Formats: sequence, C-alpha cells, structure tokens
Amino acid sequence: MKKTEEKLTEFGESIIKQLEKGRDPYIKITQRSLGNVKYDDVKGFLVMGNKYSKRYYFNIAHTRKFMQTLLIASYCRQLISENKHAGIRELYYALKHTLEGTKKENTFEDQDESNPIIEDLELSLNILREELNLTADRRGYIYGDIVIKDGEDQFNCSKLGRGGWAVPGNVEEIEFKRVNAKYILVVETAAMADRLIEEKFAQKNKALIVACQGQAPRGVRRLIKRIRKEAKLPVLVFTDGDPYGWYIYSTIKQGSINLAYLSKRLSVPDSKFVGMTIDDIEMYGLENVTEKLKETDIKRIKEELEYPWFKTKDWQRQLKLALKKGVRIEQQALANKSLSFVADKYLPEKIKNEMFLS
Amino acid sequence: MKTANDLFKEFKILSVSEFFKKNADMLGYTGKIRSMTILVHEMVTNALDACEEAHILPEIRVEIDHRGDSHYEISVEDNATGIPLKFIPDVFGKMLAGSKAHRNMQSRGQQGIGVSGAVMYSQVTTGQPAVIISSTGEEMWEVKMNLDLQKNAGKIIEKNKINDNGWRGTKIVIEAKDVTYNKSKYSPYNYLRMSSIANPHARIEFIEPDGTKILFPRSSKTLPKSPKIMKLHPRGMSTDDLLVMAKNCRARKLGSFLRSELARVSRKKAEEIERVSGVSLDKNVSRLTWNDAERVVNAFKKIDFMAPSSEGLIPIGEENIIKGLSLINPEFSVAITRAPKTYRGGIPFIIEVGLAYGGKSEPGIEIIRYANRSPLVFDQGGCVINEAVKSIDWRRYRVNLESTPLTVFVNVTSTHIPYTSAGKQAIAMEEEIFNEVRFGIMETCRGLKRYMDSKRRAYRKKQRIDSLLKYAPETSKAISRLTGRDTDKVKNLFIKLIEKKYA
Ligand SMILES: Nc1ncnc2c1ncn2[C@@H]1O[C@H](COP(=O)(O)OP(=O)(O)OP(=O)(O)O)[C@@H](O)[C@H]1O
Ligand SMILES: [Mg+2]
Repeated sequence: MKKTEEKLTEFGESIIKQLEKGRDPYIKITQRSLGNVKYDDVKGFLVMGNKYSKRYYFNIAHTRKFMQTLLIASYCRQLISENKHAGIRELYYALKHTLEGTKKENTFEDQDESNPIIEDLELSLNILREELNLTADRRGYIYGDIVIKDGEDQFNCSKLGRGGWAVPGNVEEIEFKRVNAKYILVVETAAMADRLIEEKFAQKNKALIVACQGQAPRGVRRLIKRIRKEAKLPVLVFTDGDPYGWYIYSTIKQGSINLAYLSKRLSVPDSKFVGMTIDDIEMYGLENVTEKLKETDIKRIKEELEYPWFKTKDWQRQLKLALKKGVRIEQQALANKSLSFVADKYLPEKIKNEMFLS
Repeated sequence: MKTANDLFKEFKILSVSEFFKKNADMLGYTGKIRSMTILVHEMVTNALDACEEAHILPEIRVEIDHRGDSHYEISVEDNATGIPLKFIPDVFGKMLAGSKAHRNMQSRGQQGIGVSGAVMYSQVTTGQPAVIISSTGEEMWEVKMNLDLQKNAGKIIEKNKINDNGWRGTKIVIEAKDVTYNKSKYSPYNYLRMSSIANPHARIEFIEPDGTKILFPRSSKTLPKSPKIMKLHPRGMSTDDLLVMAKNCRARKLGSFLRSELARVSRKKAEEIERVSGVSLDKNVSRLTWNDAERVVNAFKKIDFMAPSSEGLIPIGEENIIKGLSLINPEFSVAITRAPKTYRGGIPFIIEVGLAYGGKSEPGIEIIRYANRSPLVFDQGGCVINEAVKSIDWRRYRVNLESTPLTVFVNVTSTHIPYTSAGKQAIAMEEEIFNEVRFGIMETCRGLKRYMDSKRRAYRKKQRIDSLLKYAPETSKAISRLTGRDTDKVKNLFIKLIEKKYA
C-alpha cells in the first residue's frame, strides 16, 4: 500500500517541479490505441507498446483533462489513506462539482469523462485500478459446482438459485475452495446462459457457466483467468456468430486493445472458440434464421481480418465467408430447432468432437 | 365640331410654382414622415451652405413644435450672413431662384427650388404665412410672407424692423400639416445626426416636440475650404449648353471662346477641335449655328482632354470624417478620400468612405449616404451607394451583414450630383461612381479587416488565459492533496507561469 501512495505523491511533485522550473507542465500518457498494441505470438496475448503522448497544461485542448487527471489521482490517494474502496461511478459523483468562477462548467460532465482517465492513470503510473482502491462496474455471473470463499461467506455456485453468483469488480481476494467441473463455458448473452442453466447443462456436462453479458468485464475476465490457472480448467467461449461476438472471444483469449497492459493478468491464450460460426448455418440448417450484416458489421469484420491474432487460416476463412454470405447468426437462433437443442445436441457434440475454431 | 378657339379657351400657362404645387411629390413631399424631414432638410442645407460660403462656423438650431393633429411648427436658425430685405421675397417665394444653380460649383443646394418649395408646402397645407427673421448686421427685419403661386413670386404681408441686438443670421419659421414626428431612421432626428457626422465643424441643437433638447456638438474647428467656381469641361457639355454660353460670352471668335470659357482647352486642343469638327476657329461665335455647335460637341467626344480639375471640389477629408464618426463613439473607425474621377466623361466627383465599428452602431450594417455632405435619408433602394455596398463580399472582411455593428459612411462630392429625381434622395447608377464607391469601401475594409483580425487574436488570447486560469484552482487543490503542499503556493506557481507566458 505504501508504494502506491508514494507513486501518487511523486506524480504531484513532478508537476510542481516542472512549474518551478518555469516549464509547461505535462503528464505522460501511454497511448491506448491499436498503434501501440502488439500481439506477442509467443505468449499469445496482446502487449502494450511504449508509445506515449504528453498532456500539457498549457495546451488549451488538454488543460481540462490535465486537471481531471490530477483530481482523480488525488481522490485515489485519499481513498487509500482512508482505507476505503469506491466504484468508478462513485468516484465520478464524488469529484463532480461546478468549477469555481464559472456558471455551468463542471469538473466532469459525465462518467465518460472520468472512466478513460482512470485507465490513463493506471497505465501511466503503472498502478492497477484495484491498487487505487477503485472497483470496476460489475456485470456477469457464474453458475456451476464451484465453492468460493468471499470474505466471511462460503458458497457453492450451483446452490444459489438460477441466477448463480454475480461476479464483483474485484476478485483478487476470493478463494476457490473446491471445484468439481471439467471446463468453463463462457457465454456471451445472459439469455443463453439462462437457457443452459434451465436445461441443467452444467450438471449434465460438469461445466461452469460464466455469463459475460457482452464484452467481458474485468472482474469476469480475472475470474476466468484465475480458475484456468488455479483449477487448471480449460476455457471454452460461446458467442454470437458476428464480429462483435468474435471480438469478445478475442478479448478473453489475448486481451483487449484498451486494456492491453493488463493482458498478462486477464488473458487466457489457450481458450477455445466453440461457436457460433458461419459454417454452423449450413451444418445445422439455420439458413432461415440468419440476420443480414449491417454497414458497421462489414467494417468491423474488415478490421478483424487485419488483426494479427485472426491471421490463422481458419479464422480468415470464417471472416471472409461472413462477408461473402453477408449474414450473421445469433446464439439464440438455435432455438429454431428446439429450446433444448443447444444443450442437448449443439454444444455437447461440438465439445466432444473438439470442433473448435482456432 | 369645336373650333381651335373653343379648345384654346382652356389654354393656360402654368408657372413653375403651380407645377410643383401639383407635383409636390417630385420635391419629396410624400407621406407624413418624409415631408417633415424634407422640410427640415431644405432649411438646414441652406443654413450650412450660407455659413460655409461666408466662412462662418455653423451654429444651427432646429425646433419642432406640436400644434395639433399632424400639425407642427418648424423653425431653423443659423448664424450666417443674413439676407437683405429686398431678396427675402425671392429667396423664399420664387422657385428656380438662387445663387447656386447658374454656377458650376459644389454646394448642397443646386436648383433654387428647395426653401421656396418648403414655404409652398407650408402654405398649401396650412394657409399660414412663413415668418422670416433675418439680420445682415446692418438691419434686422421680421417678415411675414406668402407665395403668389401664379406669378411664382413672394409677397410680403407684414414687415417689422427690429432693433439690432448684435445677432446676425436667419431664422425661418413655418407651419405644416400632413406631417408627423417620430424618431425613426427617416426622422429629422436621424437626419440631423447624419448631418452632424458629415459636418463635424457644425454645432447643431435640436429641440424635439416633447421639449427634449439634443446637442450634436462640434468636433472639428476647421472650416471646410471654400469650393471654387469652375469652368465647364468639354466632355460634360451638350449642344444647347454650348450655344447658350456662346451667346453670352465676351469672346469674338470660336477659338478664343473655347479657350477662355471651357476647361482644359489649350491652343493645340482648339486646333484639334477645328480639325475633327471642320468648324473654323475664326468663326464669329455670335453666328454659331446649331449645326456648328453640334459638330463641335461631337468633336469633344472624340478627343482626349485632360481630366477636369478637381480643385473646386472640397471633400470632407479623412480626418474630419473620423471626427464626425466619433459621434457614434466607435471602437474602430477608418476613412478614405479617393482621388477625383469623372463621370459622363467630364463631371468631376470625389468619393469618400468611412467605416465605424462598434460603439453606438447597432448590429448589422447601417449605410449612411451623403451628397455634398447632405444626408440622403430616403429612397436608399434605388441609390448607387446602396448598390455598391451590396456588391461587396463582406465576409472576406470579417463582416456579417446581420450581426456586425458597422456604420458605412459614403459621401459623394461633385459640382453636379446625378440625382434620380428632384426629391434629391438617391444618386443615379453611374458606372464610374459605382466603381469608385466600391473601391473606397474595399480600401477601408482592408483596415477594418486588420482591426478585426487583431481583435480576434486578442480575444483568443484572452480566452486562452481565461481557461488556463479557470482550471488552475482545482488543479492546484488536487496537487496539494497529492503532495501535502500549500494550495495557494501551488496556485501561485500556475498563475506566475501563465502571466509569464502571456505577458
Ligand atoms: N439661410 C440662408 N442664408 C442666406 N442665404 C440663403 C439662406 N437660405 C437660402 N438662401 C439663398 O436663397 C437661395 C435659394 O435657396 P433654395 O433653397 O430655394 O435653392 P438652392 O439652395 O439654391 O438650391 P436647391 O433647390 O437645391 O435647394 C440660395 O441659393 C441662397 O442664395
Ligand atoms: Mg436649398
């Protein structure tokens, strides 16, 4: 704990030093763009490069962000010294107020202003959000035969009702007491996860079902990573058959462009992709339940074609096939066969035969 | 069948005054507001002309009194030379009589109709006589007079000699109906305001019907130079002009007549005229025929003459325009007097343009037009000045037609202003005048643009400093919370650096 506080103090001191020398003070901000992210094919995940930009107080376009960066840093220091934790929305409201001498301008107008600056700080000071005593917005749940100890409480995630256990933003402190499963199945939509739970898929297949509800949040990703590492369970990913779903898989596998600096702590390079694929359409006779690709989907697929980690033969074929057919396929389209089709046939068959896209 | 005698029983010769009584609109008397302003205009221009000719700094007092429904009394007083008693009936009662029309010289009045027209309007709307009080320094008279419209002459009804009290000048008091007073763009108020701008050497006092006293102060003590009478330039002449002059001149032969009576005709030029026209220079001028004169005038058009002298033209001058515009209290003003040019081949004119930005200027462009310093208030739409202003690409000069507070001043100085009508409120679309006004505006606009640019730069700099200062307190507080240092000391570091960078 001492170390983080020291880093924050040093950060403030460095600004004062620049001011005293009569220099236009700046904050080094590591760039979080595709241009500063490399795919390490040995490690199998994304790593952050060392390109940075400078946020100058005297650049009018930067001044406001400069102030915001320091406001957030000082707030985190206060949290640490009071030994308290805050959510990033709480941080936003705690810091939001009207600027002295103005009528309407606030320190932060909405949370979209404070969120990226938290990431800036993590990166630039090389301090994790958790170490800044900040918790991420929470989303996602886990269901299955795993016993977790969280503080005073200990529970089995298959005995908490159909909702499973909601994954908190910070899972550093939890312990896995017992795991009785063969693999983790990460599911994009909550609706699909609910379907699998109702069909007793977890019990029948000895699976842990993790619903990420869209792009997997940090808590969920860290949870998956820890179960993979500590319980040695393989990770299978099941998303919609569209560029958005595929990117969810790619994030779990090798990290996101935004959070590339966390890849080592969050990514599971050997995770496998179960579906949906464009090939599924023909294989399971789903031609009638496809959706047409939108303009933005096509653009996104073309970008994905260029990502180094999608440069494998199978993925290139899959992406090009999507463009050629001009369609996408949702997980829930499988209901077209029957409600239990996904749990009784589609998943068991694909998993048993290791029909993974790699 | 009717005979010629039957028909000619009705034949009448109409006097000029009768003609204008029937056609008062030709003199500008249309509508209640306009008629009021025209009355004031005729009297005030005469007052300014009279002062200038006598080299007197004008002190003019205008008073308008409410008498009843659409009924007012208007009086204008000046401090010029006064008018000798025997001229009073002609000055105020005879149309086409005056000291200005027959000479080729720049003055506000040029037709000898103006003030007699005002008296006529007063008489036909109220039946009341005009009252003139005038002192020449030797005698002072108060005269009540009427117009005899048929004879086109003034008729004194009553005259009283008044004991001299040291005052010199003229005061004319008339009543008028079918007029009204308000404070619009077309009102006497705006007319006098505009007069004051173009005549910074004049002091004008104005008393409105409700008793409000307004002073347009004198902002320059220098009298404008007196214009000179100029010889006519060959290019400006018609066959008829030439014949009339030939009949009245002292020279005997055509050659000496051309050289002595016209401008820019040298011995060599006279010989060229002889060659081109085929009319001998030795011809006796009194025997010049229409045909001869026509051939000479046609020759004028084919020969290059030096441009007419403009020494007789007295512009306001850049410095005085800026002084005049100071009435608006502008943030920035610029003025230009263009070099003399001619239109219709031989009539000299000078264009002056002034711009006043900010101050009392209202948002949007206001055009104030002048002919020989006399404000043109009406008929803006048909005026060459308006057309020229419209032809400018104002955005290039950082001017927004709707929102920039800008007054555009244009004065046309000439021995002969080409008005579109006898109402003398709009100048005709002469191409040369149009171009000169355009060039004048563009020249002043360059100055305006420089000012606007530097203003914009200053504004940006101020905005920059403001926003740097705006974020300093919060940033300092945050740094102080991070480091434990004193907030004010950190803030001072920021402020010192901002000051250093933008000093
Ligand atoms: N206030 C005055 N003081 C001295 N002389 C005057 C005054 N007002 C008019 N006069 C004389 O009376 C003449 C007639 O004036 P009037 O206004 O009728 O014609 P104008 O000024 O010559 O031409 P315009 O018809 O263009 O006004 C003038 O030319 C001038 O000689
Ligand atoms: Mg006159």
